[in-house]
Amino acid sequence: MAVQDHVIVQGLHKVFTAGRGQREVQALDNVDLRVGAGQFFSVLGPSGCGKSTLLRIVGGLIDPTAGSVSIGNGAGPHDAQRAKEIGFVFQEPGLLAWRTVAENIEVALQVNRKANRPRQHSTTELLDLVGLTAFSKAYPHQLSGGMQQRVAIARALAFDPKILLMDEPFGALDMITRQAMRYELLRIWARAQKTVIFVTHSIQEAIILSDTVAVLSPRPGRLTGIVDIDLPRPRTEAMERSSEFLQTIDQLKQLLREETNHAANN
Amino acid sequence: MQQTTELVQTPAVVPSQRLRSYGRTLIEVVLPPLAFFIVLLALWEILVDVREIPAIILPKPSAIIRRLAEEPGYFFIENGLITFYEALAGFAVAAVTGIGSAALMARSRIIERTFFPLAIVIKATPIIVIAPLLVIWGGYGPAPKVIMAALLCYFPIMVNTIIGLRSVNPTSLEFFQSVAASDLEIFYRLRAPHSLPYVISAFKTSASLAVIGAVVAEWAGAGQGLGRVVFLMASYLDQEGVFAGIVVLAAMGILLTALVGWLERRLLHWHESMIVG
Repeated sequence: MAVQDHVIVQGLHKVFTAGRGQREVQALDNVDLRVGAGQFFSVLGPSGCGKSTLLRIVGGLIDPTAGSVSIGNGAGPHDAQRAKEIGFVFQEPGLLAWRTVAENIEVALQVNRKANRPRQHSTTELLDLVGLTAFSKAYPHQLSGGMQQRVAIARALAFDPKILLMDEPFGALDMITRQAMRYELLRIWARAQKTVIFVTHSIQEAIILSDTVAVLSPRPGRLTGIVDIDLPRPRTEAMERSSEFLQTIDQLKQLLREETNHAANN
Repeated sequence: MQQTTELVQTPAVVPSQRLRSYGRTLIEVVLPPLAFFIVLLALWEILVDVREIPAIILPKPSAIIRRLAEEPGYFFIENGLITFYEALAGFAVAAVTGIGSAALMARSRIIERTFFPLAIVIKATPIIVIAPLLVIWGGYGPAPKVIMAALLCYFPIMVNTIIGLRSVNPTSLEFFQSVAASDLEIFYRLRAPHSLPYVISAFKTSASLAVIGAVVAEWAGAGQGLGRVVFLMASYLDQEGVFAGIVVLAAMGILLTALVGWLERRLLHWHESMIVG
C-alpha cells in the first residue's frame, strides 16, 4: 500500500532534569517512527516508558532534547499546533466545569481563531458522532467518565485536525466502558478519517484498534519492534478470539518481555 | 445511533416544580432557624424580666426594638447607611486591587516576588492598630474608613484569586496549549472562570471584614457613622442604643453576605459547591 508518510519522527531523544541540575532521567532514546496518512498507529509500552513524552513532543507540548518531528510537508510540531492540525485527547477529559457539553466542544473553535478552517462538522453533528446528542446542555459533572471522555474526543475533532493524538484516553475508565469505547472510537475514526497516534499499555487495545503497533521499552524509551496488524476492518469483538489476534498478542508480549529483561540487566 | 455506555443524568429542574420548591425552601430552610431565633429572643426577654437585670447591664429585646422604632429621623438607619457605604467602597477597592494585583502576580513570578512580601506584612500586622494614624492623615471623613475596610479585605481576595488562577486542571491547560491558544485566551477562557469560586469564597470572608474595618476606623475618629454612634452610646452607658446599633450593623452584615450569596448563585451554578444532592 503506497501510503504517504504523515508524521516522521527521527532520532528523538528526551532527557528530563529533575530538580536543580541534579539527576538526569532519559525518557526517550533514539526513537524513529513513520506514521502513514490516515493510519491508526499505536505506541505500546509499560508505564514510565516515555510513550506519553513521545506523544507530547509530537503534539508540540514539550520539546525534544535532540532529534526531529516532521508533520505533513516538513512542518514541525509547533507549526502544526499553530495551524490547529493536531487534536489532542488526554488521559483525563479536562473539560471546563462551567461550560455545557456543547460549549466545551466549541471552546476549541473560540481560541486561536485565525487558524480555524471552514467547519466540516457542526457541534450537533459532532455530538451525534460521539453519541451525546441528548446531553448537549448537560454540564460535565452530570456525565459519567466515559461520556466525558467522548466529549473530549468531540472537542479534539471540532476544528477538523488532520492528526489525532490520544494519550491512554481510556486509562481511567472501568473495563466494561473501556471495551465499549474502543469500538466507539473505531466507528468515529472510520467516519472522521484522521491519522491517529494512540498511546496505550494494553496489548489487546493496541491490536484491536491499530494498523501498526510500535513497542517501546522502559527507561529509557527505546523502540524495540514495529508490528503490522493485518486483521480486516471493520474490527469486531469476535476477532478478539481469532488465532491471528492471539498470535499477535504473543508476539507483542515477547517484544515487551525482551525489553523488560534487557532493562533489568542494565 | 447506538448508545453503548451508561446514561446516567441528574434530573433537570422543570419550571413548574419551581413554585413548589420555593414553598419547600420556606418551610425547610427559613422556618427552623427563624423559630429558633424567636425562641432565643423570648428566653432573653424572660430572663431579664425574671432576674430583674438592669437595662444598663442587659436591655430587653422589646426595649431595643422600641428604641430603634422611636429614634427620630431614622437616626440608626441614616448613620448605618454611612457605615454601609464606607464598607462597600472599601470592599470594592479591595476587590479591584486584589484581583488586579493577583492577575499580575499569577502571570509573573518576578512581580509576585516583589510585591507578595508587602502583602504578607499587611496580612501579618493587626492592621486595625493603624486606624488612629489613618484618621490623623485622612481626617474625620469617609476616606480613612474606606482605606481600613480595603486593607482588611485585600489579602484574602488577592491570595484566593492567585490560587484560583494558578490551580487550573493541567489537562485543560494542555488542551488549550495543544491548539496554540494565546496566554490571553488561556487567561480569560480558562484561568479567570476557574478562579471565580475562589474569588467568591474570598468575597464571603471579606464582606464582614469590610464592616469591621469601617466600624473600627469610625471608633478612631469620625463625625458620623454607626460605629461612631455605638462608641458614643457605650460611653454614655446607653445600652439600649448600643444594642440598637448592633442590630443595624448585623443587618448590614447579613445584607452584604446575602449580596455575595446572590452573586455566587448567579455565577457558580456549575460549581460543585452549588450542586445539591
